[in-house]
Amino acid sequence: MTTTALPRADEATPRPLATKHRRPADTLFHAAVLGSVVIALGFLAWLFISILIEGAGTLSTDFLTQKASQRNPSIAGFTNALRGSLVLMMITAFVAIPLGFAAAIYLEKFAPLSRDALVGVARRRERSLRVRLERGEISGVRLALARLWVRIGYGWARIGPPINTAVEVNISNLAAVPSIIYGVLGLALFVSIAGLSKSLLAGGLTLAVLVLPIIIIASREAVRAVPSSIEQGAVALGATRWQAVRKQVLPAALPGMMTGAILAMSRAIGEAAPLIVVGGITFGTAIPSLNPVNAGDQPLFAMPLQIFNWATQTREEFHQLAAAGILVLIGTLVLLNLTAILIRNRFTRRW
Amino acid sequence: MLLLGAAATISVFITVGIIFTLIEEGAGFWDNTSVAGFLTGTQWFPNGDLFGVLPLLSASLLIAAIAAVVAVPLGLGSAIYLSEYASEPVRRVIKPILELLAGMPTIVLGFFALFTLTPALRGLGVLPEGRIYNALSAGIVVGLLIVPLIASLSEDAFRAVPRAMREGAYGLGSTKRIVCTRVVFPAALSGVMAAIVLGLSRAIGETMAVTLAAGSQPALTGDPREGMQTITSAIVQISKGEAARGSVQYESVFAIGLVLFVVTLLINIGAIALVRRYRTVYQ
Repeated sequence: MTTTALPRADEATPRPLATKHRRPADTLFHAAVLGSVVIALGFLAWLFISILIEGAGTLSTDFLTQKASQRNPSIAGFTNALRGSLVLMMITAFVAIPLGFAAAIYLEKFAPLSRDALVGVARRRERSLRVRLERGEISGVRLALARLWVRIGYGWARIGPPINTAVEVNISNLAAVPSIIYGVLGLALFVSIAGLSKSLLAGGLTLAVLVLPIIIIASREAVRAVPSSIEQGAVALGATRWQAVRKQVLPAALPGMMTGAILAMSRAIGEAAPLIVVGGITFGTAIPSLNPVNAGDQPLFAMPLQIFNWATQTREEFHQLAAAGILVLIGTLVLLNLTAILIRNRFTRRW
Repeated sequence: MLLLGAAATISVFITVGIIFTLIEEGAGFWDNTSVAGFLTGTQWFPNGDLFGVLPLLSASLLIAAIAAVVAVPLGLGSAIYLSEYASEPVRRVIKPILELLAGMPTIVLGFFALFTLTPALRGLGVLPEGRIYNALSAGIVVGLLIVPLIASLSEDAFRAVPRAMREGAYGLGSTKRIVCTRVVFPAALSGVMAAIVLGLSRAIGETMAVTLAAGSQPALTGDPREGMQTITSAIVQISKGEAARGSVQYESVFAIGLVLFVVTLLINIGAIALVRRYRTVYQ
């Protein structure tokens, strides 16, 4: 029988799988997903080019050193805004970074203890107290304090884990709260209730509250990246848990934490909305002092505020000033990001 | 250690502080305006004591919807490209550039919308002659802003789909498109939904781009070519005028701030619930 038999599997010429059933739809799909990346990047390029065209002519050293002006665009400059942003960043970093790092270490290293582990901690405390009591080493006020410490240990074992879970959920929710809500909080808390007036200090504190959850989340990642064997090694050599974290985990995690903190700062420096709510738009010509200690009575100037102010003026020259301001702002952001990348590449250890 | 714990607890105080100030500082507002009148009022005119939140809320939702129309296809397309099509070197170049877009101050996007995109849309005939403020260009730039967010969260979801599932589909003769649309996408659906919902909540809370591009004229309209005022830009407008503490304008900031907070919180809780409900765990 002479049938045109199909070639046997081992005789068939192997064809690359990728082209086997390729139809126009496949090519179209590839083009569509590639196209979406190209469109997104295209908009970014368009944005850069249009702002560069608008602002490059105005950007000069005069622009950076002259005072702000609402009336005469030819002598208006960015000094007030630059200085204001610098002071804001100092206050924000000073408040938010230590708090954020501390919270991150706590949440990553001490909070995840289970109820049983916490009961164990309290039992050890009780045992060592009993030993010291038998030896007659402890009495009076110190005994009472030690007993209280034991009771706190047992109490925390009961309420600690749910509290820690609540804190955890809360931080991820805070990171998603719109930034303008932080402005409303700052207006009520720092300006109306604490009476700080609409100053750089009030603005800096508001931004600190805004970036705190961001810093906590980024720093936790960095702490988590340090392998637990490092800490366990230290504990095995006789260090307490606290010593192991402070001397081993913290130094190893610090570059990553700094990177996260710098990126959070670059978020803060571009924020305009919360500052407007806290301080309104400042029309003064006072030049803010660079000393953050005086920030309580300095008018609230910042780069994004000045840009907003100029962008809402009617005359075309002011729009060019705004574009030049944006170029300075973006330049600052790029610098901050490069620093973060540098720290990450230079100091982060691979385990 | 206690100090570290105290630092972590501060975050709880922030949340309590937000809720407390939104309610307490705005308490006087409800003496003059009833809750029902506030929620159903169709006119927002703070200086004339007309406080109806509907025009602001509808503007916020409309702009978020335009943003979603822009960002969902672009974000998902980019995510599929980055996780399934792009080679590793290409990915390493494109991802940081997309993140640059995510880190762009929103005032920059607002400037771009007002002075570049809007004239371009006018030139194309989409917007009528002489129109400056409009929801369309605001929505488009807010969409661009959330493209990286949606892309990066969805990409994580796509990458979490195990390789074996893809290999199985390829082994049955599927092309890359079939694997993407019939295997990877359904498996990652919960993560993708969460990404989109989080993007939406970001869009509703967006302030500066919307304030610059959509203007400050409250309008209860569904026409994206009109200018309109969102909740966020209403807060900016009142704050700009430095309303004194105790005035009804000052208090209205906290009232609409509360609406914004509740809306975004509900969306975020919804996103988390979505993920929990539909998550498929693969070993």
